[in-house]
Formats: sequence, C-alpha cells, structure tokens
Amino acid sequence: MCRVRVLVVEDERKLAQVIASALQAEHYDVVVAPTGEDGFFRASAETFDLVVLDLMLPGRGGLEILQTLRKGHVQTPVLIVTARDGIEDRVLGLDLGADDYLVKPFALPELLARIRALLRRGRPSDILRLKAADLEVDLVARRALRNGRALDLTAREFELLEYLLRHQGHVVSREMLAHDVWKEPRRATPIDNVIDVQMARLRKKVDVEGHDRLIHTVRGVGFVLREGEP
Amino acid sequence: MKWPWSAPSIRVRLTAWYAVVLTAMMIVYATATFVAVRHEFLEQLDDQLHDDFETAESLLTRTADGRIVWAGDRHQDPDSDEVRVYEVWSPAGEQIHRSGASVALPPVAVASTHASYRYETVAGNNERWRTLTAPITIGGHAVVLRVSRSEERLRNQLWEILVVLVFGSPLVVVLAGVGGYLLARRALLPIDHLASEAQRITAERLHERLTVPNQRDEIGRLTGVINDTFARLESSFDQLRRFTADASHELRTPLAVVRGIGEAAVTERRSPKEYEDAIGSMLEEVDRMTTLVETLLRLSHGDAGRIRVSREPLDLGQLARDVTSSLGILVEERNQKLMLDIADGVVVPVDRLVLREAVTNVLDNAIKYSPAGSTVAIRVGRIGDEALLAIADEGPGIPPEHRERIFHRFFRVDEARSRDGGGSGLGLAIAKWAVDIHGGAITVEQRPGGGSEFRILLPLTPAVATTHDQKTTQMRLGG
Repeated sequence: MCRVRVLVVEDERKLAQVIASALQAEHYDVVVAPTGEDGFFRASAETFDLVVLDLMLPGRGGLEILQTLRKGHVQTPVLIVTARDGIEDRVLGLDLGADDYLVKPFALPELLARIRALLRRGRPSDILRLKAADLEVDLVARRALRNGRALDLTAREFELLEYLLRHQGHVVSREMLAHDVWKEPRRATPIDNVIDVQMARLRKKVDVEGHDRLIHTVRGVGFVLREGEP
Repeated sequence: MKWPWSAPSIRVRLTAWYAVVLTAMMIVYATATFVAVRHEFLEQLDDQLHDDFETAESLLTRTADGRIVWAGDRHQDPDSDEVRVYEVWSPAGEQIHRSGASVALPPVAVASTHASYRYETVAGNNERWRTLTAPITIGGHAVVLRVSRSEERLRNQLWEILVVLVFGSPLVVVLAGVGGYLLARRALLPIDHLASEAQRITAERLHERLTVPNQRDEIGRLTGVINDTFARLESSFDQLRRFTADASHELRTPLAVVRGIGEAAVTERRSPKEYEDAIGSMLEEVDRMTTLVETLLRLSHGDAGRIRVSREPLDLGQLARDVTSSLGILVEERNQKLMLDIADGVVVPVDRLVLREAVTNVLDNAIKYSPAGSTVAIRVGRIGDEALLAIADEGPGIPPEHRERIFHRFFRVDEARSRDGGGSGLGLAIAKWAVDIHGGAITVEQRPGGGSEFRILLPLTPAVATTHDQKTTQMRLGG
C-alpha cells in the first residue's frame, strides 16, 4: 500500500520535529519545510496527500503560500496551524482554500484526528456498526453490547462511546471531547470535570468485571479505546 | 518656522473675536450716528430757511417806482449778511431784487415754480447752498421769492463729527481689545494653574489630587471632574497592577511545576512508568496553563471590545435547563440536589453562547463550593421589566467585604484554596463581563439560611413583557 505523504511547513524547529515524529508514528511519510519559500517550492513541485501549514513564517507568509497554491490549481488538502484565533483569521484562511484550521497550542491527538478526517474526506463513511474486542455498537438501533449483553447507556454515554470507537486506537483529548461530543465552543468553559465524571461512569458500564479493559486514561493527554494493554 | 498665530491660545482667540465683534458694532454705530446727525442738521437748516422766507415775505415791499426794498428798520443790513441771499424774480424770469451775500447762484426757473415751497441745493462760488423758492405777492404783484443759505458751516460740522468717529472708533477698539485680553488672561489663569498642577500628577503619583479653590464655580466643577477622573484612573491602575501580579503568579506556578518535574525526572535514571507519570503530570500543568491563557485572552478581547455580540431572543428558562443538564452530572456525583423553579416565557435579547458561559460559570461555582448532599436552586423569573436568573447554594457564603471583589479577576475568597478544585479564579469575572455587555447586572447576596445567591438581572425584550402566564415548573434532578 502506498504510504501517505505529508508536508509540514513550520519554522519553529522543535514544533516541526514533534509534529513530524507524531506523524511518522502513524506511518505517514513526512517532509518538513522550515521556511515559507521552501514550503511553497515543495508543495508546488512534489505531490503530497496533505499539507500542514503554519501561518506566521519567515519570508513568505502561510496565507500567501496558500493563495498562490490554490491559484496554481494545487488541490492538496491544507490544514492551517496558527496562533491567531480571531474569527476573521479563521474565515480568511478557510476562504483562501484551507480545508481545516487548528489553533496553537493544540493537542497532538487532535492534530492527528483532523489529519485523519481530511485524508478520509471523499470516502464513504456510512459505518453502521462499530466493534472492538467483544464490544459491539449498533449506530442505527443506538445499542451497545458487551459480550452479547446489552449495556444500559444514557444518550451522552452512547455518544461518548461512539466517539471513542470511531477513534479506536487513537488518543482523544478533553478538548476534542468538549468540542465534538459536548459541543462546547470554548476552552474556557468549566467542562473538564464533567468529561471526567462522564468518562468514569461510562467506563464502569463498559469495562465490567471479567472483561478486558477497553477504555484507558492517558495521563495529561486524554483517553483511548484500545484492545489489550495500552 | 511656526507662526505665532497659527495655533493661538484661547486668550488670543478670545481677544481677536472680541475685537472683530466690537469693530463691526462700532462701524454700525458710527454710520447710524452720522446719518442721524446729518439728517437732523439738514432739517434744522430747512427750518431756518423757512423762518428766513417768512421774514422776507413780510418785510419786502414794493416802492412807488416798482423797486423791491426791505421795509421798516431791519435789525441787520441784509447786504452785510454772509450766509444768506434774498432774491425776487418777476414772472417773466427777471431778477428784480437781490440782497445778502454776494454769490453767483443759478437763476430761478420761474416757469416751473408752483404754489408750494420748493427746497433744493444748488452750487454757487464752489459752495453748496440750500434754497427755498415759492411764489408770493408783494404789493399786489405776483413774484417769486428765493431765500438761500450756505451749507458750508453745516458741512464743516458734519466733517468734524466724521473725523471724530473715523479716528476715534479704532482707538476704542484697540483699548477694548487690550482690556479684553487682560480680562481673558485673568479669567483663564485658573485653567493654566490647573494644567500645571495636573501635569504634576503622573502614573506614579496618582493618589494626589488637584486643589479645589471654589467648589461652586465653573473651574471648581472642572477640577472636581478631573479629580474624579484621576480617582477612576487610580483605581484601574491598582486593578491592573493587582491583575498583573496575579496573572504572573498564576502563569509562573504551572511553569515552575513543569520545570521542577522535568528536572527531577532527568536527574536520575527512572522506570518507564515513572517517566510516564512525570510527563503526564507536566501535560496536566500545560493543560491548566492553556486554559488559563485562553481565558485571559478571551477577557482581554472582551475588554478591547473585539468580541461581537449577536443578540437573539433567548428563553432564559431553556438556557437554565440546558446548562443544568450539561453540569447535572457533577451534581449527581456530589450527591447534591438541583431545584429548578422556572417561569415560562422569560425571553431576553442576548448572545446565547456568551450568556451560557456566564450561567455555566456561576453554576459550576455554586456546585463546587456547596457541600455534598446540599441543594443548589436555580430560579428564573421576572422582576419589574427585568429578567432574573438566580442561583442559590448552601455553601459557606461570601463575607460582605468580598462581595464586590468576588467578580474581580483572580479573586478567591479562600486564598489557600487556590488551584486544586478552586478553578482559575476567572469564572466569575467572565460571568460579570458577559452579563455586563448585555446591559445587565450580576450580584451576590447572603441567604438567610446560609449560603449565597448569585442574581443575574437582564433587561427584558419589550415585546414579551405583557403575558404573565407564570406557569412554574418544578423539577428535581439527582438526589
């Protein structure tokens, strides 16, 4: 199978390194461009499946690169990574042809999740059943079974379990949960406690005695649903 | 080079305006005076002329040989008169008598002389003469009598008046200008004084105030206003100073923790589990710091007015239910009870997300500080033309001296209970900001049975103030 190629345009050396190694751990081919010029040159000359683009770059700014690429009909998906979080900045970036937008500081699990989502784009995703070990979830009937026995879940617990299953094997951060499951638009909202309590309850119902533990806490990062030990 | 008059002081401008207005007034006054005096003089001249005419009419007689002579003993010889001329003309246009000053006057147009008196001004010997002409009868013969008076004296007098007016007025203006300048300087002196005094009060000496010489006059009021401004400036400087100190403390602490854990982890060889713990613990601090920075940025955007508020009608009860359902799980976890007392149809024009943040923060606060097993009550209703959302808890309450400051950034009633479980200390500050931008108010009060009640008051939409269908919904969650 052909490996996915990702171009990372980021001038901050440490951050570029962190992103690159996280992507390599997901078995992507990663090319790092440390300047805007280099990034633009590579993005227009080579073929990539995805570009991770910083906006504040020395030499050539990220938005300018994006604009020039799109004018030159380079349609590679672009994920903007920036410290600018004003609505105007987001709108401008997306209007100029970016496919997604992530504000620094971001959690790596979220970056990876968004990259997966962008790469998945255009493919059918009408999965009706999700499975992990002896846990089965029927999205149509909204039913969850552990080893054939039905679990009594609240609506929120079901959504949470579905989200964890969809990101099976990948860590999901509290930010992702707050944003995607609780639909909280802001980090400032005191929702982290709610997430922790909800997760503890879900875990009590899913990881019942006599079964392998599926939901794991990754300290300081978030949660992961995974078969076997973490 | 800067011209001195390019940006003149108020003093100079005031004086200039004064002079301009005064000049205009002087011109109008002088012109009017001159016109009135001239008119008066001419009228007097005509009256004198008329008197002369009547005297001549009664005193001129005809001799037997047809000559016209002065009758009786005239007090003055008409021929020695310098300013008057008497002429008698026959109907044929011949001059048949002449006495008085020797001056060549144009002949009388006898044919056009009608029964009435005719006044006119004619030239003679390079002077102007005022004449009165009318037909009379002397000794039964119809003749025309003309009496003339020189206008020269009158003109000289008028000229003198004109000279006085033309040269006197500018002098008056100049004198008044100097006086005006001195007056303006004197009137503005307290302002100069005020300016130099205010200049002395810099950021480091904000506690100082201007001296108020007289509280009731304009300068006194101005000084009062400036002093008020200084007071507000001082309090915001203080707040800023406190905020900066708190913010640096809140940000430095997690940094110090991260650094400490990292240093401790690398100084000795440790097991992977220990490394994992260290890294996880560092990440937790980073997360805390991220949330803090996020919140601070949000507040500062709010301060700078960069957050746009899009108002839409929102059912406050619905919002309360929404927030309680999202935080309800925390209530359950702590074995607390949640009481909702919600009046239907309390609709306010607000930005849903912003207000939701406020209510979430206040409720989170109430849950956090209430003991296990206690009750948190939420009430939504109307008070007059305002909507009320009150959140009451059975916690320790807030001492009266802290009630105002509880909404300040980073303020915590219990300093010791700073980080763990205490939150960022910004939640209520955000709530206050969110309520304030909607023109509402947030207050906290002590409940009679202990605990505190946070009250959010918001202006109602005028459209929904009429229906008072207070269907009250009672709902119990958890327990």
